[in-house]
Amino acid sequence: MKNKEFDNILDECLERLLVKGESLEQCLERYPEQAAELKPLLETALAAREASAIQPRPDFRARARYQFHSALKEAAAGKGRTSWGWFPRWATVMAIVLVLVLGGGGTVVAADGSMPDSLLYSVKLATEQVRLTLTPSQMGKARLCAQLVDRRVTEIAYMANNGDSQQVEMLTRRLDDKLDLLVVLVGGEEAASAPGMLMAPPTEEAAAPTVPPTTEDSSPSPALAPSPDKGWGGGDSAQNGQNGTRAQLMDTVASDAASNRVALRAVLDEAPESVKGALRRALAVSEAGYDEVLAALEQS
Amino acid sequence: MQDEESLVRRAQKHDQEAFAQIYEEYFDKIYRYITLKIGDAVEAEDLTQQVFLNTLRSISSFKWRGKPFSAWLYRIAHNQVVDYLRKKKKVTVPLEENLVSAGDNPQQSAERKLDIERVLAAARHLTGAQREVISLRFTSEFSIAQVAEVMGKSQGAVKALQHSGIVALRRALTVTQNEE
Repeated sequence: MKNKEFDNILDECLERLLVKGESLEQCLERYPEQAAELKPLLETALAAREASAIQPRPDFRARARYQFHSALKEAAAGKGRTSWGWFPRWATVMAIVLVLVLGGGGTVVAADGSMPDSLLYSVKLATEQVRLTLTPSQMGKARLCAQLVDRRVTEIAYMANNGDSQQVEMLTRRLDDKLDLLVVLVGGEEAASAPGMLMAPPTEEAAAPTVPPTTEDSSPSPALAPSPDKGWGGGDSAQNGQNGTRAQLMDTVASDAASNRVALRAVLDEAPESVKGALRRALAVSEAGYDEVLAALEQS
Repeated sequence: MQDEESLVRRAQKHDQEAFAQIYEEYFDKIYRYITLKIGDAVEAEDLTQQVFLNTLRSISSFKWRGKPFSAWLYRIAHNQVVDYLRKKKKVTVPLEENLVSAGDNPQQSAERKLDIERVLAAARHLTGAQREVISLRFTSEFSIAQVAEVMGKSQGAVKALQHSGIVALRRALTVTQNEE
């Protein structure tokens, strides 16, 4: 009985100390008879509370968020596809040959999940460019482009968590370019007319892909590769079902816009002060760009 | 966070934004809970990630039966920890480089790391039930009623475990300090 009473007093003090923010002295004054017994326990509780200040490492947090969002999208799609599932056989073969020539098969696979602070990132950009170029249909390009937009946002979150504002700025420009391209693609213009983005050779930074595979690379694990539901390429084999495909793309873009907004705002709350300005610009570009893409999809 | 029930219902219908909000709300709390339970911040990362992937897979099976969603989520985390500890024969020791505490300068951070390590090491001397109560109370800010809900125990039993847990923690911390 006495123990039970003390348990209650201890709990009352813990509530006051840890939840209501009272000081140790104030708590002890309320229970002078139990003060001697309470004091060491409350001090220990405070020490345990200190342990609650443990934060996940920023790079882990970014990787985990990326993986979770990929899994989320996979679950929403409700089915898995292989990475090349949407690609015609001839194009698959051609693309594989090209990416092998560009970077080596293992490197390309590893590069897919790499982040901008990785040596393999340039391979990732080159591979994206090749895939974009080889995707045969306008809608397929648009779907692929939407994935690339999603990737850039994830990379922005990752680099912001690392405190690298320059990379955030650079990625924001890439994000802006991809969103512009997506607007053109969903607006019904010919892909080739999109200002030099699709048929151009890989950009300068993407043109040095002969990086050997490395185990020391800081790229995330293969688990961070693009979600299999989306796959790569996205070529439509026929014009049939174009409206349905368009509606699916609109769903995807709307969903990406919402989840990326949540993710970027969450990163903004926790990011180092030095990157917050760049991150706010990225958020603004992302929101405005997604709005534009959705408006273009609705109009056409 | 908006009304949790409607958020969870939306997440059950594959609403990605709703699920993303749940994730952001609970991620750090679940991470701290697991870290204190297993005493290893790096292993806690993998386990935390797995908890949310498991939650994603099984959220459609969650039913509102008067218990909060958090009780269900922490049950998944608890099961993940139990599974981990069963597979692991030997408890791993700390990882100084991976403990991150918020808002400290390097010197303060180093001192705080030591404090955190001491608490994590001391927590290994607690029984499973004591550690569960301490983790939920002090890292996830659960009330006694919520802890009782998660653990399926009476509030009186939880208060008793809280008391004995803090006493055991105190004893272990004192021993550690004397050894130093």
